[in-house]
Amino acid sequence: MNEAIPATDQQGDAVDSESPFQHLHPLSIILKSVSLLGRNIILIGVLYFSLFDQNLFYTGLAALAIIAVVFGITALVWSRFTYQVEAKEIRIKSGLLNRNNRSIPFDRIQDVSLEQKLLSRLLGLTTVRFETGSGGGEDGALDALKLADGETLRDIIRDYKSGAVAVEGSPSAALQEEESAPIFAMDNRRILVAGIFNFSFILLAIIGTIAQNLDFLLPEGFFDPRTWIETISQQDSINGLSMAARIGGIVAAIASLIAVGVVSGIIRTFIREYGFRLDRVDTGQPGFRRRRGLFTLTDMVMPIHRVQAAIISTGPIRQSFGWYHLKFQSLAGDQSGETDHSAAPCAKPDEIDPIIAETQVEQLPQDAEFNHVNHAFWWRDSVIIWLVLKITALGLGFFVHTGFFALILLAIPLIAIQYLNWQHHQYALTETQIFVRSGWWKRKLTMLPRRKIQTVDISQSPLDHPLDLATLTIGIAGGSALAPLRIMDFDAEKALSLRRQLLPS
Amino acid sequence: MVEAISSTSLETPDLSTEIDESRLYNQGLTPLHPPQKSLIRLRAAIRAGFLLILAVVGEYFLQRELALPGGYIVGVAVLIALALVFILPHRIYRRWGYDMGTEQLRVLRGFMWRTDTIVPFNRIQHIDVAQGPLQRFFGLSTLIVHTAGTHNSIVTLPGLATADAEDMREVIKGHIRQDMI
Repeated sequence: MNEAIPATDQQGDAVDSESPFQHLHPLSIILKSVSLLGRNIILIGVLYFSLFDQNLFYTGLAALAIIAVVFGITALVWSRFTYQVEAKEIRIKSGLLNRNNRSIPFDRIQDVSLEQKLLSRLLGLTTVRFETGSGGGEDGALDALKLADGETLRDIIRDYKSGAVAVEGSPSAALQEEESAPIFAMDNRRILVAGIFNFSFILLAIIGTIAQNLDFLLPEGFFDPRTWIETISQQDSINGLSMAARIGGIVAAIASLIAVGVVSGIIRTFIREYGFRLDRVDTGQPGFRRRRGLFTLTDMVMPIHRVQAAIISTGPIRQSFGWYHLKFQSLAGDQSGETDHSAAPCAKPDEIDPIIAETQVEQLPQDAEFNHVNHAFWWRDSVIIWLVLKITALGLGFFVHTGFFALILLAIPLIAIQYLNWQHHQYALTETQIFVRSGWWKRKLTMLPRRKIQTVDISQSPLDHPLDLATLTIGIAGGSALAPLRIMDFDAEKALSLRRQLLPS
Repeated sequence: MVEAISSTSLETPDLSTEIDESRLYNQGLTPLHPPQKSLIRLRAAIRAGFLLILAVVGEYFLQRELALPGGYIVGVAVLIALALVFILPHRIYRRWGYDMGTEQLRVLRGFMWRTDTIVPFNRIQHIDVAQGPLQRFFGLSTLIVHTAGTHNSIVTLPGLATADAEDMREVIKGHIRQDMI
């Protein structure tokens, strides 16, 4: 089904304008149909329960019709999607109604990443994504090709970028990489450790949601705390138990909650980080190649010169055991939805040092002087917390139940946390870099080379004007738009002078 | 309220006091083109109009349902509308300021939430000069500067005389370097 080549020679210096327009692998029709159906399984369920009054025959017919329609459309879309690999660019023609003719020059492609979801792996396919570094989203994806074809395409682009002429069937550089040791890798024991620290209540939340939706199966008032209190106080058997046993029961309940959290954290971490491997590669341009994943295998390369900043995050418990998480910020987003590329999810400092040494980011010098921000960071928020809690406690205490007066005690831990957060919010400036620490529980150290700074904002909220404070926001290419690099509650004068140092006019 | 400003100079005699006063509030930076204040006032008047309509409708329904003594909602809305149209535009206008340095652009904006942004010229990816329909009526344009940063990926400077905006664009274009990320 290869189309004849239209006369597009005038558009480029394509050495090989005779390269055929290729389709994606036909099995990708099955791939996309299955994923579309999977998302619409709720629709089928709704049809079953509501529309057809649980009549299996009609639902079956409707389900078959839906499957046929989905397969049909996917096949149509497949037939209209073709790509052509030229010497210096790749051309993609796609679209059923709106025809889209896109040309991606190899120069603009930072790298090619290969991703294999579980079903793709079973079918021997892979999704090829082109990272062009244009903020937010990739520029093109071929979903899906045969694994060998995907790797060949990646090698063609890499060879182009390393200056070699693109020859068909050139030996892949992948073989050389397999032989050299990775710069960082996680074996199963390390993933287990990472999982233990990734304590997560997701399983609990999922179970809770399922339980809530199936609540017609559970006894009346399962979710109402008052019924529980009544039943427990009515149970003579529980009153008969000694105090120790009652406390033991509560402890066991809390322990099981914690166990659920730990297990779900471990499972999630295994799924995401299985086989984690970071290699230092030099195909076309220096970069880090990262492979990981249990069900969805991802294989991507991050060019080193695109790294804007390095972030080392940890927590108080993690730090006491010596585990840190290294991430890089760059313009292209990580496919798994994180904004920062995770380079070493769970590593000791001496494992992180060689990775950072490869980039242009410098490590924290031994004699770096960290400065604190203004004390108002903690006392201003504390005042607000205390006021809000007092009003809530008084209001609820008078109108609902006298027990709510105790709510004001919540102020003590909250204010303590604010103070600790202030303690941990520091910055340091060297000749070439700026280092910012933030957070007590979620600790983050951002290491940013000064020449990567794009813009610097000094902003004041209405609560800052009277105190003469300001917040310094540093814009960098990459990272989250919602949580940029900030130094909060600076003295306004110091903020202006720091900015003058960062952006000398 | 539309003063006919045909020259690009901002120092016409009857406006100099106003401009000097705004220099007090925006740290001595260049203030925006004076018709911008009229534009702010016009936009505020439109919003105040909507607010009053909503207040009247709300009042009517509340009267019907609860039979309360009338006038509260409309009264509050009228006060807010008066503040929006008569008090705020001047204060908002005088807090705006910009400075075209030799190497960077500095923009000051905001009345309650104040922001002071510096964009070095060599970080600018590309520039737009845009003009909405209301702005065309007053002879104003907006300079939109795109950077590679995720935060502040767009920095806007409205309320410039169109000729000024285009001059600034030419100056900045001369400074755009290739791929500073």
